[in-house]
Amino acid sequence: MSNKPLDIDILVPTLTDEDVKRAMDRKRVHLLRNGRGRNRLVWLLWLLIGPGILAMLGENDGPSMISYATTGAKYGIGFFLPFIVLTFAMAFVVQEMTVRLGAVTKRGHAELIYTRFGSFWGFFAMGDLIIGNLLTLVTEFIAVRAGLGFFGVPPVLAVLGTFLIIIGVALSRRYWTWERITMAFAAFNFLFVPVAIMTHPVSGQVVSAFFTWGPLPGGVTAGFILLMMSNIGATVTPWMLFFQQSAVVDKGYTVADIHQGRIDTGLGALFAATTAIATVLATTPLFLHHVDASNFQGADFAHALVPFVGNVGATLFALGIFEAGLVAALTISSSSAYAFGEVTGRSHSLNSSLREGWPFYAIVIAAAGIAAALVLIPNAPLVYIVLIVNVLATLSMPPAIVFLLLLVNDREIMGKYANGRLANFFGIAVTLFLICAGLIYGVTVVFPQLIPV
Amino acid sequence: MDSKETTEKLATNHLEASWVHGVLEPEQLSTAKQPFGRQKMSRTTVFILWALRVYVILMAFLIAWQITGPQVLHLHP
Repeated sequence: MSNKPLDIDILVPTLTDEDVKRAMDRKRVHLLRNGRGRNRLVWLLWLLIGPGILAMLGENDGPSMISYATTGAKYGIGFFLPFIVLTFAMAFVVQEMTVRLGAVTKRGHAELIYTRFGSFWGFFAMGDLIIGNLLTLVTEFIAVRAGLGFFGVPPVLAVLGTFLIIIGVALSRRYWTWERITMAFAAFNFLFVPVAIMTHPVSGQVVSAFFTWGPLPGGVTAGFILLMMSNIGATVTPWMLFFQQSAVVDKGYTVADIHQGRIDTGLGALFAATTAIATVLATTPLFLHHVDASNFQGADFAHALVPFVGNVGATLFALGIFEAGLVAALTISSSSAYAFGEVTGRSHSLNSSLREGWPFYAIVIAAAGIAAALVLIPNAPLVYIVLIVNVLATLSMPPAIVFLLLLVNDREIMGKYANGRLANFFGIAVTLFLICAGLIYGVTVVFPQLIPV
Repeated sequence: MDSKETTEKLATNHLEASWVHGVLEPEQLSTAKQPFGRQKMSRTTVFILWALRVYVILMAFLIAWQITGPQVLHLHP
């Protein structure tokens, strides 16, 4: 017998830490799917929820909550309540497609765009994503700073603390752990609900708004159109597509899990719409008392709400703003790292060991680190970023949805899970709606005299 | 590595591999994915993609113009 050591990797298939950890998670799903018991389906859903809820509640981020707060302060109860429901319905239509794409192809969104359409179009899609993600991440740290600033936490401490949390959660090196910790943080998005209840909204007005899509004080103005764009950008953005599909793949979804993935996405839309509407209701007293909130940022709303909801309500509001920034920073930094790994062919999983996945974790840390550093630069023109980030997201969404529609209609990779006529109808309708909204915005910028300011 | 150690490691690896392969679908293994080929895009599709690219670039300029231009609108709603 030769003394030469045996190369074990040749004899057995190569398994990575990522594979073993994913298999451990999937084993629990298999056991529940094949088992018996009254609560089996509930537990199965509990195991499989995550990507959809995190995409939707992650998008209820700092600028989004400021956008909803501004909506309540500027327009009160009326048009924007059903409009928010409409935008989350659009978000559901779009995100559901990413669940199917991920479950069927087992590949992330960036990887599919690159392999199916080539690097030329992939470059554009990634460009939109990287620019959007960096700007959005900056706004998340601004939200964190503003939210914790309400409690007197110095900006440096707030930003560095959040940065360390992002590093700590990512370096758990387990998708399941990362997902559950982030979901636990995301539950604090519901802090806006008790604040809304404290303002004692008139239930009749709320119900009437959903049926009449009104009132709309001041009518259609440039400010209204910008706020409408901002609210759309607060619900449907490119990073959500990339994140949810990558998370679905990382979690190990198969076609058998698509049903639960849809429920997960639906629950996410429901939760996010509820907290968004709650935020509008929470700041409605500012509208009713003619408080000028035009230049308010995160913590300003909390301070202004003290006379109406007391210190407890204002505290909850400020905590909610902090949570919105933190959860979005966690999800968006991961979305950037997933896309980078998928495009470069390197490890792209939150299940990776540090040895296998160091570039992935380096991107998570670098994305969050750059944004955190930018926020701490004295006199940086951050206000512009906060103002444009949602509008930019709305404008860059149509090409992203077209790529999504092309992929999800690609029968070579999707087989019988490709879009049906109804899904295509809704997908195209959402795209046209976003393009129209963008064009109307463009017209108001170029020809401001056409519309009242 | 002596032969006993090798045999033990082989047994462990085979055991691990068999249950992991039993639970995961082949495409879920990080090292087993086969790349998809390129999709042939129709002229209409390419036209739509270019039109949307132009749309995004124009709109990005509009945003830049709005926040830096001489007649600044009320950007904050």
